[in-house]
Amino acid sequence: MTGRVPAAPPAPRPPVRPIARRPGGDPLIRLFHVSKAYATGTFALRDLSLEIRKGELVFLTGPSGAGKTTLMKLLFAAERPSEGQILVLGRNVARLGERRIPALRRRIGVVFQDFKLIPTRTVEENVALALEVVGRPPREVRSKVFAMLRRVGLQHRRHELPPALSGGEQQRVALARALVNEPAILLADEPTGNLDPELTIEIMDLIAAAAARGTTVLVATHDHALIRRYARRTLRLEAGRLVEDVPGAAR
Amino acid sequence: MSGLHQAWYFLRAAWRGLLGSPLPSLVSIATIAVAVIPLGGLAIITGNMRALLDRQGESRQVTAFLDVGLEPEQEAALARRAASLRGVARVELVTREAALARFRDRLGGGALLEALEENPLPASLEITLAPGADRAEEAGAVAAALRALPGVEQVAGGEAWVEGYARALALVRGAGLGLGAILALATLLIVANTIRLAVYARREELDILALVGASRTFLRVPYLIEGAIQGTAGGLLGVLLLYGLYRIAVPQLGDALELFLGWSEPRFLAPASVAALVAGGAAFGLVGAAVAVARTRVS
Repeated sequence: MTGRVPAAPPAPRPPVRPIARRPGGDPLIRLFHVSKAYATGTFALRDLSLEIRKGELVFLTGPSGAGKTTLMKLLFAAERPSEGQILVLGRNVARLGERRIPALRRRIGVVFQDFKLIPTRTVEENVALALEVVGRPPREVRSKVFAMLRRVGLQHRRHELPPALSGGEQQRVALARALVNEPAILLADEPTGNLDPELTIEIMDLIAAAAARGTTVLVATHDHALIRRYARRTLRLEAGRLVEDVPGAAR
Repeated sequence: MSGLHQAWYFLRAAWRGLLGSPLPSLVSIATIAVAVIPLGGLAIITGNMRALLDRQGESRQVTAFLDVGLEPEQEAALARRAASLRGVARVELVTREAALARFRDRLGGGALLEALEENPLPASLEITLAPGADRAEEAGAVAAALRALPGVEQVAGGEAWVEGYARALALVRGAGLGLGAILALATLLIVANTIRLAVYARREELDILALVGASRTFLRVPYLIEGAIQGTAGGLLGVLLLYGLYRIAVPQLGDALELFLGWSEPRFLAPASVAALVAGGAAFGLVGAAVAVARTRVS
């Protein structure tokens, strides 16, 4: 597909590798010439086109301000693109009505660097939120939450409040909440940014396990050691442009 | 998806919200209570005035006192004339002797009556008005017709005060409605802003809920329930405080109350009025919360 983004000023584009076509599932995420400009006139993303297939684990890297977080926000409809189209799970997020956003988000798990846990609710209650918003019966909520907390190794701390937990534990709770509803996509924005190297591996192993179970995962990180260790497909953003798309097999 | 599970979740969330931010909740409750007091006070005043008018109307009686010098035949003739008047259902002639006997009964005898040389009481016609037509107007017309009859000394009932009193009641009620509207608006604004503060205090929580796919309804319903609970509590508190004030004020206002209510005993609000005030409080809380959440955006 070809197209122009009139809002983007003409600037020399670095060569972009063609998107790797691997055997596997259908593309769950597709961006077509997506740009995001803010009212101030600054561009967070420029003419971004990419495709992520079902079950892929993809790293999104680049310096601070490169547009990683903006891309994440566009994918779960926290923001709208200024130009271009975004297809997530077959829905055009760029044109998704306000009322249809919740249904999309129920199929996307999101994890942030700052965990975003409700400090006044227990670990168990925080994880249960993702099931309660879809009206699951309490019994099902309890059993799924318990199973999920066991998967991240926190079942024994389920009655505690998040502030009583370490950073790594809080991120595991956030991950449990993101995955408890068995989402098709997991978006993790700097999930290990606040953690020491040992905990980083622990969290990343859990994320990789989710990908192994068939969840499509996009991890934004500037931790090169992490990217090298897992050797997965890596998208590199610079100044809002996709400057590199390296398939995992090439690493 | 089960509606029951969702309802249970909403109730728990609302309760958690109330306990989680007690100060804004108390401000909302107090505001509604403060608004309920003057409205309830007005309802007490108009209710009592209305009751007095109704009692006056219910008796539907006009009494014409006759000249003392009339012969029994003349009295009977006057009774027949009165019965033929428009709007009159029944006429009972109370002779001078009957009047004295009644007076003696009420007084329980006594030396005062024994000392009387002759019966000072006039004969009277006790006239019951026909049902229908406006009470005050009808009674006034009958009273005027009776006064015009020769041999009628004085007419009691259907006096101008009834009409004036009814006008005063309408005025109090109108002022009450005006005051009520102003109070309602002020209360609504305060409650809406208070709940909005509570919403802001939990903004992060709302953002997180939105992030995991909570719908707008899911985010808002707990606040609406919270508002309704605060409103109900405010309404109940207002009625309780009003009752306290009523108990304190009524003995202090003896003379003024007599002026307004005559000899009748003042009454507190009827159960239906109490229910209406509490329901009104709940409605205030609900609408205030709806205004607050309608103006709140989450990411």
